[in-house]
Amino acid sequence: MDGGVALDAEPILEEIVRALDECGLEVVLVGNAAAALQGAPVTTLDFDFMFRKTPANLGKLKTLAQKLSGRILTPYYPSSDLYRLVVEDSGIQLDFMPTLHGVRSFESLRSRAAKATFGGHPLWVADLSDIIRSKKTLGRPKDLAVLEILEKTLDEKEKK
Amino acid sequence: MKRKRSKSVTLRALEKENERAVREQIRRLLSLPMNKRTHFLRVRLPGGGSSL
Repeated sequence: MDGGVALDAEPILEEIVRALDECGLEVVLVGNAAAALQGAPVTTLDFDFMFRKTPANLGKLKTLAQKLSGRILTPYYPSSDLYRLVVEDSGIQLDFMPTLHGVRSFESLRSRAAKATFGGHPLWVADLSDIIRSKKTLGRPKDLAVLEILEKTLDEKEKK
Repeated sequence: MKRKRSKSVTLRALEKENERAVREQIRRLLSLPMNKRTHFLRVRLPGGGSSL
């Protein structure tokens, strides 16, 4: 992990997952946070989620922001359809995306995701293959930089 | 007398050692339950940048 021990995300994840569960907002964790939970030695600054963009879920997103004492920047990049929830006190950012490069739909991503539990609340974590495919399709330098380590992790998982 | 190793031999040895260490780290993480693989968060520093 870049030569150091990164901050333990468990208490933050517990708070986020509890709030998501209380709001009834269905999401799948993606990105480097999901890759790390899948066993990859990577670090990240924020949490990325895929969700279904429906009027009901946008309402739930507002409720989530209130519960976490954060605010939503909508959409962060006009072309990306990204909803960024910023928790001012901790500086934590949660990005909610209705579309994900290389992933056909929320349902297909969810069908392959693994369920983790934080504080008794469930969290769906994207499959490593989906994370790799998404990063390959996106092709940004920061995505390509972690591909090798993600592929090694997938290789080790498949050996188990 | 100690034989001098070429640079390429040293680099290959370092790469091999790095690969072994990375694989070992991954195996250690995979041996934990998913909700304990949580030491991945970097923190934002005031004025930009981040730290572990």
